Amino acid sequence: MNLSVRNPVAESIVQTVKPAPRVADLNGKRIGLYWNVKAGGDLALERTEVLLHDRFPDATFSYHRGTVGMVMRHVSAAEADRISKEVDVVVGTSSD
Amino acid sequence: MMEFERRGVPTVSFTAETFVRDAHRSAESFGFPELPIAIAPLPFTNQSPAGISAMVDGFIDQVITGLTVDVRRTQPKSEIITVSEDWLTIEGTSELDALDQMNRLFLEYDWSDGFPLFAPVKSALDRMLTGTTRDPNEVIAILEPGFGKATVEKIAVACVMAGCRPEHLPVVIAAVEALADPKINLRNKAMSTGAAAALMWVNGPIAKRIGMNSGICALGPGAPSYVNAVIGRALHLCMMNIGQTYPGISDMDTIGTPAKFSMCVAENEAASHWDPYHIEHGYDKDTSTATVHFVYGICELFDLTSYKAENLTEVFATAAKNAAQVCTGLWLIGRRADPRYGTEEKEEHTMFICPEHADVFKADGWSKDDVRRAMHAKSRLSFELLMLSKERKAFDAVHPELAWLWDSPQTMLPVVEDKDCYNLVVVGGTVGRGSFMWGSGAPVTKVIKT
Repeated sequence: MNLSVRNPVAESIVQTVKPAPRVADLNGKRIGLYWNVKAGGDLALERTEVLLHDRFPDATFSYHRGTVGMVMRHVSAAEADRISKEVDVVVGTSSD
Repeated sequence: MMEFERRGVPTVSFTAETFVRDAHRSAESFGFPELPIAIAPLPFTNQSPAGISAMVDGFIDQVITGLTVDVRRTQPKSEIITVSEDWLTIEGTSELDALDQMNRLFLEYDWSDGFPLFAPVKSALDRMLTGTTRDPNEVIAILEPGFGKATVEKIAVACVMAGCRPEHLPVVIAAVEALADPKINLRNKAMSTGAAAALMWVNGPIAKRIGMNSGICALGPGAPSYVNAVIGRALHLCMMNIGQTYPGISDMDTIGTPAKFSMCVAENEAASHWDPYHIEHGYDKDTSTATVHFVYGICELFDLTSYKAENLTEVFATAAKNAAQVCTGLWLIGRRADPRYGTEEKEEHTMFICPEHADVFKADGWSKDDVRRAMHAKSRLSFELLMLSKERKAFDAVHPELAWLWDSPQTMLPVVEDKDCYNLVVVGGTVGRGSFMWGSGAPVTKVIKT
């Protein structure tokens, strides 16, 4: 005995984001440290700066965080534009 | 982080081991499956500074690799199962056996809410679609996080599986519209580690017409609440199979909540002296509406003694003053927001006022606004207590004008932004026991079109 049942899963709209080209070396690069304001992420980024500075002494660092949201904060389009001009790469917290 | 990649800036995201599957699933649905991540063994939350440093020491090489080596998918996929066939053939030794096999398969595919499902066979689907005049191919909404097209037909499939009848379909369609409203910020609720569940209440003539329960045990199980139960269940199945809110894959709810199975009622409009919720919000009495509010949990509003409105709100306010709830005092560190749509939400609560308590307010001549004002005035906690579970840096960034509070930590502050953060709906039987539900953002109401 066979049952023919409808697939319940909806078709999805496919989104595409092209990955940015990676950098060859972090030396001399402007490294952005982005915190989403989840607890402990700021400490992880501070430690990241210490470790990356040890290996790439010519790199420079800047700290950023979003202004939109609360427990988890996001960047607005304008902030993303501005930060993207100020840094070469971003290391960040995206969840907990 | 994808906003930076979009702008040509390479990124690496810290992700805890437990969220790797979620991270890949999110990245896939947002169009960036290659997302480079550096995996920490644990979330940073509730960790000591030394513990966090040790974790970073362990994954720093992944950070460097993610920024300097061309990204390829080297991580395991999110494991979400995709089936391309529109119709699936399920074999069994009998119809009952085939139904059992279907339920087993749907569990394997993550398409089930865990309870046995009805089979979405063609005859059942056709019958369900008689509940609306809308075109089955009409796209009602796009549901995040999976950006699924909520066609009338896919909503009808969820309704069949949940056990709905055709006359329930328009209610679920309206609720799906509400889910997709940018003000709901569905992605925020659907992909959280928190237990926000979709509470729905229905107003207007349709509630009685389709047999919804607004009285005794309206939010509970059993025959009186059958319609409520299956409509709420269908909504959650829509979140799963249309929006791809799959537990453990994208829904990372830490403990979970039974509220996610189904949470739907009708307002007991006949037992209320106030305007019902939909009229209060600008709809006429002949219009039927579905309102969806994501809420974290339920606290009983028990008071069999008070016969004065002032006393009742004194008791009710203790529910709002629960510092362990995420939403309590959250305004101190900002608002829930979605930068894509420019939406911001205050944290709102929903109170189901039982008819007996409504009568107490009536006797004292209190309007809903009077109740809200009293709740806002009485629901206060000290700044020190409210900030115990919040990031100081977030407060400092959002409210620099309130920096003086650090020197006056015992200052009493309201737990929500203003009186309108309390939504009042009359529900239930005739004893003094209501329900308080801590909200995650604000409710959204949509008209039910038959």
